[in-house]
Amino acid sequence: MTDIVQIPRLETERLILRAPQAEEFEAYRALVASDRAVHMFQLDRPAAWKEFAAEMGHWPLFGYGPWHVERREDGALVGAISLLSHDHYPETELGWHLYDGHEGQGYAFEAATAARAWAFGERGLPSLVSYIDPANTRSIALAERLGATLDREARGEDATDLVYRHSRPAERVAQ
Amino acid sequence: MTLSLHIPRLETPRLILRGPEPADFDSYAAFLTEPKRSWGFGTEEDRPKAWRWFACNIGHWALHGYGYFTVEVKETGQPCGIAGIWNPEGWPEPEVGYVVFDGYEGRGIAFEAATRAREWAYTELGFTTLTSNIVPGNARSVALAERMGAWYERSYRNVQMGEEMLYRHPGPEALGIGSDADGSPEAYA
Repeated sequence: MTDIVQIPRLETERLILRAPQAEEFEAYRALVASDRAVHMFQLDRPAAWKEFAAEMGHWPLFGYGPWHVERREDGALVGAISLLSHDHYPETELGWHLYDGHEGQGYAFEAATAARAWAFGERGLPSLVSYIDPANTRSIALAERLGATLDREARGEDATDLVYRHSRPAERVAQ
Repeated sequence: MTLSLHIPRLETPRLILRGPEPADFDSYAAFLTEPKRSWGFGTEEDRPKAWRWFACNIGHWALHGYGYFTVEVKETGQPCGIAGIWNPEGWPEPEVGYVVFDGYEGRGIAFEAATRAREWAYTELGFTTLTSNIVPGNARSVALAERMGAWYERSYRNVQMGEEMLYRHPGPEALGIGSDADGSPEAYA
């Protein structure tokens, strides 16, 4: 097993995407235990830790995984962007969540755009989708703002998910 | 930015303890999804859940600096079990865990691997005590813990497994394996 895994640091106008830190588990735990995670999952503390660890484990296994997103201006932790490929995911998923108080400022859009460019570019992933609960209207709006399109043929993480497909940058220019 | 994931390669006369590789997953999944084998360890209901456990173990290494090794038969290179130190959120304290896969029982593999993992935790990680959490009725696991010198200390309610017996392992001094000040594993190989 590789000893040192590079987690790329991505910078945008207002944000920095970087490796999650072990001590940031509390922010993650608070999110997944709250009503705000109703469209993701609701996990108790031990289950949240396992999920946090399983996401971290993606970096050594796949060379991609979760980033934590901090605001350049003051270093505040505003959210997370993740590229996940759990065993039952038909394709790699681009996911996002914002920590409490940081919604409505376009942070998820800005960070997801940077993560997607890296995934298709430097990392060379062949495809990327977002699995979204049909009731999660905010997430659907973001997927659409990102230019992703609903793919009714694709299989989701589970049967009820909507699958939003992200196109590669060249394809977006061509459209 | 880097994620430090140092998983050493440990040896015993017959075994190698090493970092889990993606190619090991099938053997992990076969074990984790077979309740008859994994009931005392924590059964995962299907392969996707087993995958999350597998990825969680890698993340456990990244977050804690320790976790479960894949145990491999030196002679054949085949994965034959899991052993290491486990301490996810909610655990009372770090434990020595051990498992042998189907077809590898009765050869002392778990004892050999778990003893090596415990020695590593004492010499390289600087642990001063360790436990093993055992589900009541898991007589084989109790026998192994006792063979390793551990004794029953108390019962408690584990966040994942429910009622469990906590066995306490002898510390490094009692085992005559002090902390490895110069960082040289050769001294203990």
